[in-house]
Amino acid sequence: MNSDRVVSSPVQAAAGGDRSVEQTRVRAARVRGMHPGRPHLSAHGQVVLSAYIAVLPALALFALFVIIPVFEGLWVSLHRWDGLSPMVWTGLDNYGYVLNDGIFWEAMWHTILFAIVTTVAKNALGLGLAVLLNRPLRGRSFFRTVAFMPVTLAFVMIGILWSWVYNPIFGILDGALDAVGLGSLAQGWLSDPNIALFSIMVVDIWKWTGFHMVVYLAGLQQVPTDVLEAASVDGASGRQRFWFVTLPLLRPVIIFNVLLSIVGGFTTTYDLVYVMTGGGPFHSTEVALTWIVSTTMRFLNVGEGSAMSVVLLVIVGAIGLVEMFLMTRGNSEDEVG
Amino acid sequence: MGARSTVGRILGSGVTYFILATVFLVTVYPLFWMFSGSLKSTGDFYGNVWGPPTTPQFVNYADAWTIGSLGGKIVNSVLITAGTLIVTVPLATLAAYAIARLRFPGRRFLFYLFLLGIAVPQGVTAIPIFTVALNLGLVNTRLGLVLVLAAQALAMEIFLMQSFFRSLPRELEEAAMVDGCTPLGAFMRVIAPLTKPGIATQVVIVGVGAWNEYFLTSLLIRSQDLQTLPVGLVYFSGRYSTNYPDLFAALSIGALPMLILFVLAQRQFISGLTAGAVKA
Repeated sequence: MNSDRVVSSPVQAAAGGDRSVEQTRVRAARVRGMHPGRPHLSAHGQVVLSAYIAVLPALALFALFVIIPVFEGLWVSLHRWDGLSPMVWTGLDNYGYVLNDGIFWEAMWHTILFAIVTTVAKNALGLGLAVLLNRPLRGRSFFRTVAFMPVTLAFVMIGILWSWVYNPIFGILDGALDAVGLGSLAQGWLSDPNIALFSIMVVDIWKWTGFHMVVYLAGLQQVPTDVLEAASVDGASGRQRFWFVTLPLLRPVIIFNVLLSIVGGFTTTYDLVYVMTGGGPFHSTEVALTWIVSTTMRFLNVGEGSAMSVVLLVIVGAIGLVEMFLMTRGNSEDEVG
Repeated sequence: MGARSTVGRILGSGVTYFILATVFLVTVYPLFWMFSGSLKSTGDFYGNVWGPPTTPQFVNYADAWTIGSLGGKIVNSVLITAGTLIVTVPLATLAAYAIARLRFPGRRFLFYLFLLGIAVPQGVTAIPIFTVALNLGLVNTRLGLVLVLAAQALAMEIFLMQSFFRSLPRELEEAAMVDGCTPLGAFMRVIAPLTKPGIATQVVIVGVGAWNEYFLTSLLIRSQDLQTLPVGLVYFSGRYSTNYPDLFAALSIGALPMLILFVLAQRQFISGLTAGAVKA
């Protein structure tokens, strides 16, 4: 009977359950070739079924190559395995080895350092350049394009190129220093364990600063001028306007950029480091991912490699959760509900 | 327009242009060096480090092309990138639509599940992905690589498409459904034609990512004839590291496709790759 039918379509709900809307629904059902009286999927049931069909392929693929690997990694980390012979249960032993693995923690430290230094540099430079560009300048969009070019190039390609830039014999860096008489500043950019990691950081900064600059520029251009003018009328200096009006309005953009850089520092450094130094010299440029791959592929210690992956996943996951929390906090209106 | 900070005012135009010019030089010169080095003879390469080549040696490109089988690598890259796009875009768009617009049990759970996927970035699950692929017989196959790369891209793409869908007015589907469409029919008829900008974003992000991908590809692809461009370049630079002009030619060939595409479609690239950062 009509009285106990749940309001089940958005149209009906929007119309407040009105009888005439009900008649429209009946008509629609007839158009679809269904007799409204016979048992059939309600409009809501249709929606649910469609939703499941729509979501299923993505969910299946995601489960297969994202969810299952996480659990597989956890499972393997509790065994000793070389990839060929049967797995041997070892419980939490691998985690014990990982905790004691000096090189792993050195690599983690390098990774963290890499993430922090490059994030600060990329964002400071990006924001600074965006501020400079945020005025009618000739050639601004040309400059934007040029600065963005390295973003589109592969890390391995840039890494190989910069290995040559750093080359002590034909590289342009030492050549440039020589040309201005600062030849004595030339270092073993990639061969000196103390500075190799920083040399690699420079490449990451070179690639990504343009990206952050573009994002900051877009953010700056969305700052409403009337708010700034009002502040100016109230006597705020340029610096005060920047600090108290512009920066707070840029907060979501800053959060996005900073977290993107940090997570990138943890997870995209494999390509660059592998190609430039392979983790050397003497593990001075070893990062978490390169060491995990070495442990697993070269030393065939898949169990311990998996344990390391789990540890890294926990750390990166925590950072990612912070990112999600911070990003969705400002969007409570369009949150799922 | 925009903020005039103290920094901007103090510096004035002259210093600004100087800074920008320096940044321009630092950004562009390594690439210029790469292209000009690729056209030099070996002697020119050592002797004339800075300037353009004395006589362009286009033969270097031919050499690099044949020695490195770069033609085959480019074909592989195209296949892998296209395949990844073909898998990711429909799956992500459909799933994002359902999560954003349809009410069904488990919707919140799925929203957070895929959101968690963004917090699990590429590479951290690389080793287990290898074992899963191994168990499915997908190692060293193009299909396997495509599926793996697509799976990695799903979480981010679903997230982006969701917020895109949420910005569309609800009346559109309601109007279609009053006319007798099923929910998916409403999607195909009314919503799908409007998703072009969102899909353009997906194509740029997933496309560039797949084209430049090295890590997972190097793990999953074992035979030379299946290698993509990045993997092939690394292999080439390892094997032929003494023939510098040819190596630079190979690098240039590696960089050119993406650079050319970028120059032709700057706005799409930039807005696509930075999507999600600033709500338009």
